[in-house]
This record gives sequence, C-alpha cells and structure tokens, in this order.
Amino acid sequence: MGPGALVGAVMAVFAVLVWSGSAPAQTKPVSTAPVHIQAGEALYNAHCASCHGIGGVGSKGPELLNVGAAAADFFLATGRMPLASPNLEPVSHKPYFNPSQIADIVAYINALDVEHGTPGPGILDVTPACANATGNCPTLSEGNQLFLLNCAQCHDASGAGGMLSHGYVVPSLRQATRTQIAEAIRVGPRPMPNFGPGQFTNQQVSAIADYVYYLAHTPDPGGLGIANFGPVPEGFVGVIFGLGLLLLVSRLIGNRG
Amino acid sequence: MSTVAERSAARKRAQLEQKALDWADDRLGSSKWLRSAMDKIFPDHWSFMVGEIAMYCFVILLATGIYLALFYNASSTVVVYHGPYKPLDGQSMTEAFASVINISFSVRAGLVMRQAHHWAAVIFMAAITFHMGRIFFTGAFRRPREINWIIGITLLLVAMLEGFSGYSLPDDLLSGSGLRVVFSIVQSIPFVGPWLAFNLWGGAFPGSGVFFERLFLIHEFLFPALLAGLLGGHLAILWHQKHTDFAGPGKTEHNIVGSRLWPQYAIKSQALLMFVAAVIFGLGGLVQINPIWVFGPFEAARSSAGTQPDWYVGWLDGALRLWPHWEFRSFGHEIANPFFPGILLPGLVFTVIYAWPWIDKRLYADYEEHNLLDRPRDKPLRTALGVAALVFFIDLTLASATDVIGNGLQISFERLIEILQYGSFIGPIVGGLVAYRACILLQGGNVHPIQRPVGGTIVRDERGAYHTLGASHGENGHEGEGHDVDGHTGNGHTGNGHGDETTLERGPAGG
Repeated sequence: MGPGALVGAVMAVFAVLVWSGSAPAQTKPVSTAPVHIQAGEALYNAHCASCHGIGGVGSKGPELLNVGAAAADFFLATGRMPLASPNLEPVSHKPYFNPSQIADIVAYINALDVEHGTPGPGILDVTPACANATGNCPTLSEGNQLFLLNCAQCHDASGAGGMLSHGYVVPSLRQATRTQIAEAIRVGPRPMPNFGPGQFTNQQVSAIADYVYYLAHTPDPGGLGIANFGPVPEGFVGVIFGLGLLLLVSRLIGNRG
Repeated sequence: MSTVAERSAARKRAQLEQKALDWADDRLGSSKWLRSAMDKIFPDHWSFMVGEIAMYCFVILLATGIYLALFYNASSTVVVYHGPYKPLDGQSMTEAFASVINISFSVRAGLVMRQAHHWAAVIFMAAITFHMGRIFFTGAFRRPREINWIIGITLLLVAMLEGFSGYSLPDDLLSGSGLRVVFSIVQSIPFVGPWLAFNLWGGAFPGSGVFFERLFLIHEFLFPALLAGLLGGHLAILWHQKHTDFAGPGKTEHNIVGSRLWPQYAIKSQALLMFVAAVIFGLGGLVQINPIWVFGPFEAARSSAGTQPDWYVGWLDGALRLWPHWEFRSFGHEIANPFFPGILLPGLVFTVIYAWPWIDKRLYADYEEHNLLDRPRDKPLRTALGVAALVFFIDLTLASATDVIGNGLQISFERLIEILQYGSFIGPIVGGLVAYRACILLQGGNVHPIQRPVGGTIVRDERGAYHTLGASHGENGHEGEGHDVDGHTGNGHTGNGHGDETTLERGPAGG
C-alpha cells in the first residue's frame, strides 16, 4: 500500500467519523411518505432495476444501498441516468424524469439506504451567500480559493471543463445549478473523486457552489468570453479574425496605386 | 483627363508641399533629401503591407504599454487585496498580481488598454509570421537582402520572448505555470542549466524578490529597445535597397514600379494604421483576453486545465507534450527530457531559418542579385519545404491545444497525442508533396490562385457541356516562358494584367 492509499484510507476513516457529526440541518429533507416511496419504487422498477437490480442490490450497474439522496438527485436531475447501456459514460443530458418523479425516486433510494443502515450524503441546501456581486461576499473569496486549489485542475479555472486520460470528459460547470455542484462534490460522479465532510464542511461546499455559479452567471468584465477556454480560443480569434481582417484590408487598399 | 478643379487642387497641394519643404530646408537644410524621400516608389501589392501591420502593432504595443507601465508594480511583496472584484477580496497576493487586478478593475481605461495590449501582441506575432512567410515563399531573402532576413528573424525571436515575458508579468496562475515550465527547461540544459536557472530567477522556483523586477526591466525596456533598434535597421536597409516586386509589365531587375511615398503611399499606409488600431481596440473593448481574475494569483499548489501559452509559444509547448519520455545518460551525466523539445528543437529550427538564404543559394546554385520576386509555384522545392515546415508548426501548435481539441472532438488524450506525434512526421511529408504537385499544376495554367476570381460567362451548349466564354484566364496571370524550369533567373514573366488599373511610375534605377 503506497503512501497515497494510506492517506486516502485515513481520510476515509476520518470522513466516516466526521460524517455522523456533520450538521444535517443544512441538507434538504427527503420525503419519507410511503406514497412517494411507492411511486418511486414503481418508476425505479420500470427504468432502473434492469441494471441496478431489484431493491438496489446491483447487477450490471453498481448497487445503490449506500449512495445517498444526493447521488440519486444528481444523476437524475442532470439527465446522466437512466443510461441507454451500462457501458456508456454518463454525461449530462436533458432530464428524462420531471422534478416530482425525480423526488419520488430519490425518496425510494433514500428509503433503501436508510433501511440498509448506511445512508450516503443528503442533498445540500445551498443558499446564495449574496444576492449580487456588489455586496460584501466573504464566502465568494473562500469559494474562489477552494475551487482553484481543488477543482480547477480538471474543470478549468473558468469552470469550462477539460479532459482526462482514457477519454473521460470533464464537464463544463457553467450550466450547472448550485445544488448540482454541491451534490457532485459530495457524491463524486466517477471519475471525479468525492469530497466528504472531512475535506469540506457543508459551508465550504456551499461557498464553492456559490463561486462557480457566480463565475458562470456574471457577465465577463472584458467583453465576449469566447468559450472561457483561455489562450487557445484567444489565439484563434487573434490570428484568424484579427489578422484575417487586416489582411483583407491590405488586400483592399494595398493593390491600389 | 483631369478636370479643371482637380488640376487646381493639385497645384494648391504642390504649393503647400513646397512651403513645408522650404520651412524644413531653412531650419535643417534637408529638403533635397526630403524631396527624394517623398518621391520614393513603393510597389503596389497588398502582401507588402503585412510587415507594416506588424510595425503598427508595435506602435500600439508601445503606446498601450507605456500606459500599463504607469500602474504596474513589479514586486513580489505579499499584500491583501481589497477592491471591487469580490471573489478575490481579502486574499493574499503579490503586489504584481494586485496591480494588474487594479489595472483591470480600478484604473480608468485600464482593462481596455490591457486587452488592447494583449490583442496587439497576438496580432503582432501573427503579422510577423505572415510577413516572414511572404518573404520566404517569394524568395525576397535572396542576395542582396540576406542581412534583412537575419534582422527579421531576430525580430521574430525577440518579439516571441517579449510576448512571453509580458504573459508572465501579471503573476497569475497562467503566468506562474508558464514560468514553471520555462524554469524546468532552463534547468535541463546540460551542465549549466541549474546554475543558469538559479541565477536568472534569483533562487529556486518561484524565485526571489528580484525576479519580477528583472522580468519587468526586460519586458518594458530591454526587449522593446532591441525591437525598436532592429526595426530601425530593418527599415533603413529596406529604404536603401528598395522593395522587391513581382515581375510584371515594365518591371525589370533594375527599376521599381508603384506609388510614390507622398502622397499616395503615405495615405495608404496611414489608412492601414487606422485599421490596425481599429481592429486592436475593437477587440480590446469587445472581446475578453487573459482574464487573470479568473485564474487567480499564482500558487505552486494550484493548476488549471486548459493552461496554454499564447499561440506563438504554442509550438514549443506542443513539442514538450509530444516528445517521448526519453532520457539519456552519457558520461555519467543525465540529459533531462525537456532539453530536447525545449532547447534543442527551437535551436535547430532557428539555426536552419537563419541559414536559409545560404541553404537556398546552394539548393538553386544561384548566387546572383535579385530584385524581382519568385512566384511560389516557380520554385516548387522551396515552396514544398516551406509548406512542410508550416504543417510541422501547425501540428505542434495543435498539440499545445490538446485539452481544448480533445474536449471538443471527444477524442481521448492519449489517442490525440499519438495522432499528433505521427502527424508531426506524416503531416509535413503530405503537405510538402501536395504543395509540390500544386506548384507544378499551377505552372501549367496561368491562373493566379488568389489574385482575382476567374471571370467570364458560363454557357451550356446544345450537347449539355458547359463552357466559359470570355474567361480571363491569364488576364491576371503572368504569361511568359520559363515556368517549367525550377530555378530560372526570375525575368521570364511578361504578364499583361498585373497592374491593369495601377498608375505606373518608373523609379530611378540603381541609386
């Protein structure tokens, strides 16, 4: 076992220890009403059980007995699930279910987890720290620092996304909602690692989600953002559009005597 | 032809000119020189203005750079930022980074100046590259212009370093990542690398307090002075030797045909300056470039996906990405991997480029003076080699953009690197062969590929076949013998349409 794995194991143990002590007040309540759970079970059996097994025990897909409400909500609300084939990489799509159907399935998954005794992360209630950018937003600065240190390596400092090895695509965060960002941090949709309460407090997760949302929804101060991908689109615009235009101009005036 | 009004306007203008010349003559005794300077002939071809685009970019870079230098603070002292950009509020950062954030958000017109400066740098390098390509493909570097080729390549090299030093000044995450790479490349130089890197940076990466002061001195004084000096020499030699020109009616090796400097060419050139300024400031005001507030202050523990240099350094970054993981040990000394793509490759590339005028002489056994240009198609070998080199650079530049390309095209990173590794060998060969073939085919036809669309009326005959009536094939082309010989002496074109709507004026031969 390498030092990285050791650190990981220690962190996991720490995370489990802290988990029980984290404030559940900041997570959204998931319905435990039998009517919702039953409706969710019906939807689950029709659309999910072929891969995840009856009762979430897993088959072609992973078991769902300790994934938590956040995972169910994240994968369904971003349209990553249901998947046409278990061999596909789940990527963001238009959601297949409507919000009340998603709430039902989430209630069912949550009930499975509770019944199994190991519930995963709940859905975080991310409230914006400040309504607009003009106010004093201490959490925006905290979110900026945490994002640049933990997330920008893959998601780009602008949240525009990127790529990993083996063809994994790092999604852009610029369309994501605050709740989805917070869920992804806690759940860690593969190949993204999950960040448990030992790494980020709920308040820090909120700060990151807030900052990413701010980044994507505040107008770029410098004008058109050109995909917010850094020097590549900038070079393209400068060389093709900038010089291209000037070459046309020289063609226009250059040949005249 | 001219009307009475036009004639009287011309007379009035001549009087004004004479008055201005007299004024200068009384004080400086220079009117004879000025008079001849005003009559200097500039050939009318659009591609000769691309170097001027670069020159005007440099002028705008100086102007905007002076403004930015008023507010930039080359200090690595750590301060806490409090200002209008809230996500950075209360964060620790170097004064260098804080000053660029202040330029962007607090200094009046600071952001538009910064962005215009950066766009101007991007277009500056693009114009220099295009200009260099024009010189290369038309053989304008040949005797007697070898010195100006060398000065031009040095301008390219210095401008590239100047651009990179400017990219590094804000001390944001991109700057720091770029400097980190360069620090490692310098370190990889066998034997002297580590000492060199430590001396340049004033210590281990990210360097001591002196580093940004040095970088700023280099960026705002040393390199601009060098660029201005080299540009002065470049233009003085051009002035002395006069322009080259394409072959055409009335054009020989010993004359020059085109517009006078005053007033025709001066006005064209001023129009170009206005357009260059318009494009640069238009982009600077409307299109965001290098949002350092998004990248945040540089910290060694941070990095961002999509970290790339500006486009003109991209080929070097791409070379680093494509180079296999080879390391060599010789005489008990390890030659570190970045040395080969980071030092050896650009060293070889620039050596070949510098030596090209002499390589070309050998290639064509041609040691004569040339004032008339080659058409690229008439020197297929040179054109093919040039195209191969371009494809090679494009391949390396694409390799620098693998994050963005892979993301956009959904190709896995490893596959993309493999494609571009093979591409750096296969691409140039294919590109060169296609160019060679295209040259040979173009020699057969007399159509200029980009001069003007081929005109004429398309008709359909009774059998259904299409014909072009009154086609202007050859109207803009260069009729004449000698196209089939690679290495002909350049005076075989006797085209008839090259300057069909141009006022032709014969300049003095020789002096």
